[in-house]
Amino acid sequence: MEGASVVGVGMTDFGVHDQPLPELFADAAFEAMDDAGADADVIDAFYLGNAMGGQTESDTHLAPTLASHIGLAGIPCSRFEDACATSSNAFKHAVEAVRAGTHDVVLVGGVERCTPSTGLETPEMTAIFASASHRQYEQPTGLTFPGVFGLLTTRHMHEHGTTEEHLAEIAVKNHANGTLNSRAQFGKETTVEAVLDSPVVASPFRLLDCCPFSDGASAVVVANAAGASTLTGDPVTVAGVGHATDVIPLAEKADLTATQSARDAASQAYEQAGIGPADVDVVELHDCFTGAEVLAIEALGLVEDGEGGPASARGETALDGRIPVNPSGGLKAKGHPIGATGAAQIVELVEHLRGEAGERQVEDASTGLAHNLGGDAGTTIVSILEVAR
Amino acid sequence: MTVDERLTHARWTEALRDGRLLGQRCSECDTVTATPEAACPACGARGLETIDLPTSGIVHTATTIEVSPTEFDAGYRVAVIDLETDGGARVTARLEGEASIGDRVELTDVLEVRETVPVFS
Ligand SMILES: [Zn+2]
Ligand SMILES: [Zn+2]
Repeated sequence: MEGASVVGVGMTDFGVHDQPLPELFADAAFEAMDDAGADADVIDAFYLGNAMGGQTESDTHLAPTLASHIGLAGIPCSRFEDACATSSNAFKHAVEAVRAGTHDVVLVGGVERCTPSTGLETPEMTAIFASASHRQYEQPTGLTFPGVFGLLTTRHMHEHGTTEEHLAEIAVKNHANGTLNSRAQFGKETTVEAVLDSPVVASPFRLLDCCPFSDGASAVVVANAAGASTLTGDPVTVAGVGHATDVIPLAEKADLTATQSARDAASQAYEQAGIGPADVDVVELHDCFTGAEVLAIEALGLVEDGEGGPASARGETALDGRIPVNPSGGLKAKGHPIGATGAAQIVELVEHLRGEAGERQVEDASTGLAHNLGGDAGTTIVSILEVAR
Repeated sequence: MTVDERLTHARWTEALRDGRLLGQRCSECDTVTATPEAACPACGARGLETIDLPTSGIVHTATTIEVSPTEFDAGYRVAVIDLETDGGARVTARLEGEASIGDRVELTDVLEVRETVPVFS
């Protein structure tokens, strides 16, 4: 089996973009292709992440449409949909395709618009997001996605004593990181008091515990050795990609605080990379809600089970902490254009591993981990990247 | 009581409207689920016996929804109810009243928005 590397990265600012999806995506795709030194004729395939274009913009069969817009018509194009884990799944399949030698160079992308630029306001968008929960046994209860993570986090608070203050500290940390990221949707600091004073969305989450609705696009160029040899981009090695699922609906999950798919995906990725949690220098993870970051750092083995809240409040996951988590600002501050989120995590890690992350650079980072969760943790993909040796 | 044919969404819904909560017990591993599946989520076996589940249970976790999707009016609670079966069945439901984690609640009603779901209180 061949090795895989990321040879080029690009992304738009996350925020509000009043542009059609093909135009929005082109901005990220051309940046990634230029970074890789990849002209259109060296791209062998295009794997796209877009979760909700059919519902939000009446726009489907998007992979060949976007490919056509950026000069890639003719090559195999596939669209992936796994709720928030959408473009990580596209990334995983690109890595496997170049490892197998099916393709040498694959463009992976993600694009989504979720703000009122789509013409949809909060109730409509909340309903569309909720469509990732079970159609018969969850959606008709009025469960929302903040509610899904509210259920998981409330149980964690009951079992482990996690507090609303612990959760607020995570929002404060990710907002602070976001101020150092020019692409972040929120460029302002917040405080524990401001988080606790904001209105409840779904208990225990308040407005400032939740990621925003965002528009944005991201792209990465993945290549095997043969492909990379034709390109000029500074490569970062893909050391492991794990992918696991768990039972849906969430009432059937064995343990509501485990996010078991994240544990399973992490074990696969760690095993492929031949490392453990202690070897990771920088983490981008799926903090759609502050409580999701608590569950994720425990599932990834970065802290003991039950310690996610207190460890975060102690600053262990801060930019200057023991294990920096979400230096980009995370979904919380950077933004969460669903289908673009997974590939954007890879963009952030590549910049740290190249030493190009500017003010938020994690010093001497040589191993980075991305955790991208879909739905109620029905899907998680964990990717490990390393400085090329 | 047991029934021969595989539990469907339609039969589950019909029973719920009559105040009964139907579930399935796996013939291979004894896992019990509270909403219909075509095979056991734990072991994949297709031999599932339809059973009556308790209509009383313990609140396993709950959330209050203050920003709702279209079709719902915010300010309601959704909970996961542990039905205390040997096979570990839980169900997602509307929760009325003040009950919190660990409290006992009863199936008292159904909510019908698009589909029929249980209401505990
Ligand atoms: Zn998400
Ligand atoms: Zn079974």
